[in-house]
Amino acid sequence: MKLDPSFIWTAFVQLLGAVPTTLYITVVSVLVGFIIGTAVALIRIYKVPVLYPIAVAYVTFIRGTPMLTHLLLIYFGLPVLIDGLSAYFGWSFRSVNMPMIGFAYISFSITAGAYMSEVVRSGLLAVDRGQIEAAHSVGMTTPQALRRIVFPQALAASLPNLSNSVIGMLHGSTLAFTVSVVDINAKAEIVASTNWKFFEAYVAAALIFWGLTVLIERLTAVIEKRINLYNRGGVV
Amino acid sequence: MIKLSNISKAFGRNQVLNNINLTVTKGEVVVILGPSGSGKTTLLRCVNYLEKPGDGEIAIGDFSVNCKHARKKDIHQLRQKTAMVFQQYNLFRHKTALENVMEGLLVVKKIPKEDAKQRSIALLEKVGLGNKLDAYPSQLSGGQQQRVGIARALALEPEVILFDEPTSALDPELVGEVLAVIRKIAKEGITMIVVTHEMGFARDVANHVVFMDGGVIVEEGTPGEVFNHPREERTKQFLKRITPELNYSI
Amino acid sequence: MGAPFDISFVLSFLPKLLSTLGITLLIVVCALVSGIIVGFFVALPRLYKVPVLKNLSEIYISFFRGTPVLIQLFLFYYGLPEILKLVHIDVTRAPVLFFVILTYGLHTGAFMSEMIRASVMAVDKGQVEAAYATGMTGFQAFTRIILPQALAIAVPVFSNLVLALLKDTSLAFTLGVMEMTGKAQTLGALTQHFIEAYLALALIYLVISFTIEKLLLVAERRLMRHEVRDNPEKRTFGIQKNKSFRRIIAELESGKGGVGL
Repeated sequence: MKLDPSFIWTAFVQLLGAVPTTLYITVVSVLVGFIIGTAVALIRIYKVPVLYPIAVAYVTFIRGTPMLTHLLLIYFGLPVLIDGLSAYFGWSFRSVNMPMIGFAYISFSITAGAYMSEVVRSGLLAVDRGQIEAAHSVGMTTPQALRRIVFPQALAASLPNLSNSVIGMLHGSTLAFTVSVVDINAKAEIVASTNWKFFEAYVAAALIFWGLTVLIERLTAVIEKRINLYNRGGVV
Repeated sequence: MIKLSNISKAFGRNQVLNNINLTVTKGEVVVILGPSGSGKTTLLRCVNYLEKPGDGEIAIGDFSVNCKHARKKDIHQLRQKTAMVFQQYNLFRHKTALENVMEGLLVVKKIPKEDAKQRSIALLEKVGLGNKLDAYPSQLSGGQQQRVGIARALALEPEVILFDEPTSALDPELVGEVLAVIRKIAKEGITMIVVTHEMGFARDVANHVVFMDGGVIVEEGTPGEVFNHPREERTKQFLKRITPELNYSI
Repeated sequence: MGAPFDISFVLSFLPKLLSTLGITLLIVVCALVSGIIVGFFVALPRLYKVPVLKNLSEIYISFFRGTPVLIQLFLFYYGLPEILKLVHIDVTRAPVLFFVILTYGLHTGAFMSEMIRASVMAVDKGQVEAAYATGMTGFQAFTRIILPQALAIAVPVFSNLVLALLKDTSLAFTLGVMEMTGKAQTLGALTQHFIEAYLALALIYLVISFTIEKLLLVAERRLMRHEVRDNPEKRTFGIQKNKSFRRIIAELESGKGGVGL
């Protein structure tokens, strides 16, 4: 086995085909996770009865266990649940009809939701209390104050964390190979083992991920610059 | 005796200090006045090299540093001969009041712990904080923190104590207690250079008043001369603007 | 898919999984120690703005933060022997655990260096000035004033990094290391009780995470005892607010935001 630098390029081109899958998983889990996360964050901030302890337990469990275990539990647990319910209610849907990538979507969204809730929560808490009071003082209702005053400021405050979460989910999507989804990582393994060039294949995969990550960071920086126009304080 | 000769300093193209000469005799209290941006704080910070002067010479007693080629050792020695009281107090946040005062004695002066402790307690009592020895800075008011800062400076027994607007960050009602302590130690004959906006204080504690503007010393003299008979137009203008404060004395 | 759910399997799996806890913790501790050392040396050039070295540090950090740890595992496992072969060092016989610890150490090192840099920079500049004004040398100022304060600031981030590392070690099984996740997989395949095996696995991770978090919280309280807590006076509101805000940020900003694979 000899090092073959030119194969890195060959592998790179082959891996590009798997980029959309990785991006799908990332985007879906981030978007759904953001919705779950916002709901959970609001439940925790407003201490909604009944839902509050559930939200806390959810966040604690997800953050305290590896993402891999979430995926495995969903992969093995969800079919039992679905088939059980189908048999009970007489539906025709069976878990075998579910595409493999569905497990990744569901599991990663649940994972992302817990982390996103912390991002959203810290963003909301970063907004000065005086802002809501000022909004009330000009006659806004609480939903109006949240939507028009608090959320935009919270978004600006949590942008770096949001970006980190997206990167985290991008990297986390490599776990999809455990449920036989062919993302960049799984594709790298295939390319590597069929050509018996492991190192070169993974160098190519690493380069793609590195590029995507830098891209996300750059985009964040651009958005941050725009969003923070109002924030140019004199504080050094 | 402290002698600053031809001190100059620029931040980029902005000349902050331009050829400053100043002599402070032993036991003298020198107050530096001037509008903001006049370079008075920069000058003070140059004396102990927190700001690196671009040119000039700093002499304390028979020890002198040429700013063109100051060595690390020189700067270190210079700092041991001076002490500073900061506008923002800058007490070591992770140390109690007592530990703050002891720190320099232990680490820099290498004085045995028990001895350092006794001396520090005595100093804290002197500034009226004998009952706050074990308090952390975050548990003290601004005025109390600044008095600890003064005790910390005194502990080092420096040739000169530099005060950088010691009351500017304080709530008005806490200014008095800090000025009272500074006044008390001034009477003990400790050499001090004070940058302040407290005109009343400057008037009755200073032996020598320096008025700075635009990076140069515009005028200097006794408080009587500078406050009552200013010669320069810029000094007159400055004093006129802050006249209401002139009548304000503690 | 597997045998019907039976809770008693969860209980019987627990001790079997715990027998491999040692390997997991071994990876965590070794990677942590090497990560701190690496992190320190990577942070220094950036803190002191050393030309060239500073750029190398930045590339190092960018790479290890910019690629998934799973890819890094494969990269080092397959790549390191080949690269070392070029200089005639044979590591093909080195145990897999070596590659795993090396990868996690380098990976954590990147995050550690960011933590160290951020914590040191978070110490108020006035503290350093006061130390110099007192007559301390640069070394004395660093060890006696900056470091203790930076340490207190770093703990929440550190706590987060340890937890992330613990969770990341669940990937070591991909290289055939028989740590807890690998063991859970084996047990599942053996008994066909996958759900129970992974539940037991999740439970153990949860307890360890929880314990580590609480321990480090105690450490933080101790290191932070100089900052006033729950002071009703308004004057300290600024500090209070900053502190809680800092903690929340720290819980996320390690850059391991949503990772914790």
